[in-house]
Amino acid sequence: MTVSLECAACADERAAGAAFCESCGRTLATGSPAGAGPRCPACGPAGAVDADGYCGTCGMLAARPRDHAEADSSPVAAAVTDRGLRHQRNEDAMWLAVRGADTDAVVCDGVSASYDPDVASAVAAEAAGRVLAAGGDDLAGRVAEAITAAGDAVAELARTDPRRAASNPACTIVAACVRGTEIGYGWVGDSRAYWVPERGDARQLTEDDSWATHAIALGVDPQSAWNDPKAHAITAWLGADAGPVRPRTDTLRPGEAGMLLLCSDGLWNYLTDPAELASTVRAAVRKAPDLIAAARTLVAFANEAGGADNITVVLVPIHP
Amino acid sequence: MAYTAEAFQNEFLALGATEVNAIVTVTSSGAEGGLRTAGATEIIIVDCSGSMQAEGRMIAARQAAKAAVNCIDDGVRFAIVAGVSTAQQLFPAPGQLAVATPETRAQAVHAIDRLQANGGTAMGAWLKLAHQLFAQRPGDIQHAILLTDGENGEYKGYLESVLQEIGGSFTCDCRGVGTNWTVSELRKIATAMLGTVDIVARPQDLAAAFEQMMTAAMGKTSAGVQLKVWTPVNSTIRFVKQVEPQMVDLTGKRSEDGPRAGRYPLGSWGSESRDYHVCVDVTAGAAGDEMLAARVSVVEGDVAHAQCLVRAVWTDDAALSARINRQVAHYTGQAELADVIQAGIEARKAGDDRTATLKFGRAAQLAHQSGNTATEELLSTVVEIEDAATGTVRLRRRIEAADEMALDTRSTKTVRVGRGQ
Ligand SMILES: [Zn+2]
Ligand SMILES: [Zn+2]
Repeated sequence: MTVSLECAACADERAAGAAFCESCGRTLATGSPAGAGPRCPACGPAGAVDADGYCGTCGMLAARPRDHAEADSSPVAAAVTDRGLRHQRNEDAMWLAVRGADTDAVVCDGVSASYDPDVASAVAAEAAGRVLAAGGDDLAGRVAEAITAAGDAVAELARTDPRRAASNPACTIVAACVRGTEIGYGWVGDSRAYWVPERGDARQLTEDDSWATHAIALGVDPQSAWNDPKAHAITAWLGADAGPVRPRTDTLRPGEAGMLLLCSDGLWNYLTDPAELASTVRAAVRKAPDLIAAARTLVAFANEAGGADNITVVLVPIHP
Repeated sequence: MAYTAEAFQNEFLALGATEVNAIVTVTSSGAEGGLRTAGATEIIIVDCSGSMQAEGRMIAARQAAKAAVNCIDDGVRFAIVAGVSTAQQLFPAPGQLAVATPETRAQAVHAIDRLQANGGTAMGAWLKLAHQLFAQRPGDIQHAILLTDGENGEYKGYLESVLQEIGGSFTCDCRGVGTNWTVSELRKIATAMLGTVDIVARPQDLAAAFEQMMTAAMGKTSAGVQLKVWTPVNSTIRFVKQVEPQMVDLTGKRSEDGPRAGRYPLGSWGSESRDYHVCVDVTAGAAGDEMLAARVSVVEGDVAHAQCLVRAVWTDDAALSARINRQVAHYTGQAELADVIQAGIEARKAGDDRTATLKFGRAAQLAHQSGNTATEELLSTVVEIEDAATGTVRLRRRIEAADEMALDTRSTKTVRVGRGQ
């Protein structure tokens, strides 16, 4: 996972893409110096967490930084990723970099059937994020380049470890590059981008690389397609066994104000109706004091609905 | 020494479950070039009680002691103790240790010819003398061989008090020759001294047994290896057992090492691999919680050679929590096998044939299922195994004492998963 943003404790305002600020080494989440042992959430100040992540007193695994992470760049953008309730670890990863009004955002979802999917998603999000920041003027082309770089980075993992080589770590990706009112976006797999206007239904910008979407395109009744056990099986992904990566990309110039939403299936599984998704997002934004609180509200919504998967939400408001 | 430690377990627990089990495999590649990192001292204790005169045992014991002496590497310190109603040092001069050379080995062989069977049996005193001799060489790999043919003659409780005092300070392999000795007594010594116990029914097999023990001892390259186990607050260690190559309960041998950690002695090590079963009771967590139930490390003094983690993850997914780890299941079965054999032998001695048949039946079933063919063969000397799969057995009318003692002493021998003997 990669949380970005300028580190509050550091004067260098570059858009670093790391869990720790690259300049001063402080964790972006807490502002405490990197390396200082965190406190055990189970037994409080009494327990110091050892290097392997377990409390030296009660033995509980102290929340791993990836279990819940936030990147707050309100009002420009905000992102939250969460382990959810049913999974043992968070295999989603995200990247958010903001410079002025420019925003780069990436959401990746590790494929659980592979070995180290959490590493795959983290590596992909970072590789894509770095390319998004440095690419050319054609935003869709920049996103395509970023996704290709992410695919190469994930495929490389299988060459570093025999266990990884045996199962090919894999993940999905959705990435967006916002410059002014122009949005370049692209994806591989079933992580999604939505345009949520101020009124009316949400528009799904991406088309899942999934069995259900494929079946519906071939004429299968949508309801029965989504009820099929294979519905969520993805038909394209990033990984050594994915073959050549062919990201689908596009650009969007919304003529009205609204919200760009990137999310993993941990959220959209509970909001399959475009009208309901739109009203849920708008309600979250309206009721929350700021953008990060709205992103948290959406994560909480997924957790209250069951939290069956890892949840990642990125919100980028657009004002033409 | 290069050690590795690896934990095998199903870390997933049902909600409310508190028992965490793991098999920890410790493997050592041995010292570089097979050289000892410490010095070594060997003491051979030979029972010279009057009964050794019978069946040519004394002659065989002399040959065995000579064979063992000839296996001692140059440079290793050694001594020979003649066990009578007291302990008498036969070689070298009382209170001394010899340094093995071709000359000292020849002198020792000469001295062994003077061994005469004409005393009593005082194992506590013999072990105490060995302990005093070893005390001159702290840091050495310390190993003794104790040979006896009878029961201890010291007053009741004396041997136990000696074991209490010196237990674990050196390794002692015990051998009983003939069938007039008591398995439980020698097992008590071997367990306290982290050694092995076995029967040598026929005196003529003694020399080979001594040679094998001494060769194994010479293969040990480091002394005082320990298993350090850290457990979280509010947890209790139910047991720590060596489960392979044989069952040895180490639970009671714990010495505290800082908060929530303790050390268990593993004795001396060469190039080898052993398995340990660690069972910890922890406080139950909520669904999705992950706890470190034990951090297990292989240590020598202040040096930690290897470490592995025993984890607990609570889940409401019954498919995950219901799986019993193959290794844990296997060694739980091997522990039960040793228990039912010993219970069967006791029942038979007490005249309770019904219980004995039941216990031996279960033993036959467990031995068969786990591929422990050596134990299955030993069982078949005591019972007729009609159907091992169902545990149907019939007690044999006539049972040779030596067979039953062999079954008893070797009941703790285990096999690894999927590896028949
Ligand atoms: Zn704690
Ligand atoms: Zn997902």
